[in-house]
Amino acid sequence: MIQEKFVLKKENLHAFLEALSKDMEVFVPCHNENGATTFLPYNGQEIYTAAQTFYSPKQALNKPSEKEFFFGKKSSSVEVERVKQNGGKMIFGIRPCDTHAVKAFDKLYLEYGEVDPFYREKRDSTLLAALVCTEPCSNGFCHSMGTQEPTGHDLLMVEKADSFYIEAASSKGEELIKKHRGLLNITKFQKPELNFECKKKLDTRNLKEILDKGFFSKVWEEEGKRDLNCTSCTQVCPSCYCFLTLDKFILNTENSERFREWDSCHLQRFTKVAGNHIFRKSRESRLRQFVMHKLSYFQKNNDMMLCIGCGRCISVCPVGIDLTEIAAKIRSEFE
Amino acid sequence: MAKKMRAGFYSLSCCEGCELVVFDLEEKLLKALEFVEIVDARLFDGNHPNEKLDIAIVEGGVQSELDKKHLEEIRERSTYLVAFGACATIAGIPGIRNSLPKEMQAKLNSKAIIPVKEKVFPVPAVVKTDFVLQGCPAFTHELLDLLVALYHGKKPVLENIPVCKECKERENPCLLFEGIPCLGPVTYAGCKALCPTERAQCIGCRGFTEDANFEALRKRFRKMDVDERIIHNLFTYFNQNPFKKEGE
Repeated sequence: MIQEKFVLKKENLHAFLEALSKDMEVFVPCHNENGATTFLPYNGQEIYTAAQTFYSPKQALNKPSEKEFFFGKKSSSVEVERVKQNGGKMIFGIRPCDTHAVKAFDKLYLEYGEVDPFYREKRDSTLLAALVCTEPCSNGFCHSMGTQEPTGHDLLMVEKADSFYIEAASSKGEELIKKHRGLLNITKFQKPELNFECKKKLDTRNLKEILDKGFFSKVWEEEGKRDLNCTSCTQVCPSCYCFLTLDKFILNTENSERFREWDSCHLQRFTKVAGNHIFRKSRESRLRQFVMHKLSYFQKNNDMMLCIGCGRCISVCPVGIDLTEIAAKIRSEFE
Repeated sequence: MAKKMRAGFYSLSCCEGCELVVFDLEEKLLKALEFVEIVDARLFDGNHPNEKLDIAIVEGGVQSELDKKHLEEIRERSTYLVAFGACATIAGIPGIRNSLPKEMQAKLNSKAIIPVKEKVFPVPAVVKTDFVLQGCPAFTHELLDLLVALYHGKKPVLENIPVCKECKERENPCLLFEGIPCLGPVTYAGCKALCPTERAQCIGCRGFTEDANFEALRKRFRKMDVDERIIHNLFTYFNQNPFKKEGE
């Protein structure tokens, strides 16, 4: 175990990222070409650490549309060729709440039932360098969800005025620090104490039971009326993992491909079954599914809530639907 | 190798742009010609009427009796009929006529060179249509996917998802938060959010989704202080007015 604590001076930040990029693809928080804040592979751009990014680093692990394998008929047999993952990845500056979303992904893809080999491959080669928040973000409620401390990370960082405090949190993280020791300075300071209060709050006491009781509440109908079903909330949510598996046929069947595409419970197709029957035809039933999955259903099979309190669904909603408000309304009705 | 599919392109009242963009497929078009035979298309090698067809690809809306007769005749001799492009699927730009005030419509119709119907009809409103391929101009890769799927005997999946989904996948900032009225939440996706990615609002050229919440979106526009006339124009640009009352 490394006993010393380190700081990375801000003037060394780009040199540090440059050095990391030699071994792996480093995703950093930054502005994309359209001006939204998100995580993109590092190529010398300016780093954005002022606040939580509008888009989560979800795309670094699961792309919106991802090839699994190619298949095709070759003379008398069908051949399958796996798509290879290229090299390691690091998500630099991932927020604590988002590390909990990765944990939820791990639970679903690796621990609960069958292991997903595609995710396994990607996850094993991904490092997380968590950047702890020092100020509350606009819509986050991580203190209510208990996700203010990172989990499953390899490096822990805290931003200070002119440097980043860095400490190793796993053996892989230690190796990284040893390798790039030259760019880091030893500090005698301990990890800075963090104390801030989230602006938003979500009362989680018995929330699961209360929401289950409020399944037929009028609140869903009211909120459903103004729901656009635009799927924005599920697209920006770092812990939304639902996907659809599709085949794409190319002209000659030799190189057809199987891919998975992000799905959304806000779409009618999500519950479309044989005979074109749709289980969740009404708007409110789809909104309810989204909220209940985040705050109740996932907890039945796992020891955590799927909502990690980042508040992105609240920031992105064009009509201002607020998950915490819905939960509070149902609580006042059924507690 | 199965038999080549026989296809034809037809233009009703439109700009013929959708047929033209098929040439954008370039080398893919040459590849497609290995399993598709284009037997009747003005822009390819001229019209050959009365040919039996596997697939008729029709662009343009029905504006006159002539259009209607032509379309019914095409339907008669084709196995599949595809409405191709905004004019054919949702009446498109010519369909703006349908949302004008009554007296303006009458004035406009009286000036037409050939006698026109009172309203513009999209293809599915006139004859049975097997597939609709949306967009202005239509998206040729969708046409290619459709032809490949039919050739392999598969039913192509055309999903009912809004533009916002693809817009968020491309990680764009939401235009609605910048005070720009955008039809993304109610418009059928497949364009990979072409316009919002270039910071222009979605104007609904791919038609409205089946379960669109128009009322909520109009409320949102009003909250942004968008002029009522602009809201009306936006909703009726390519599509038929979704707020129309019965009998209007």
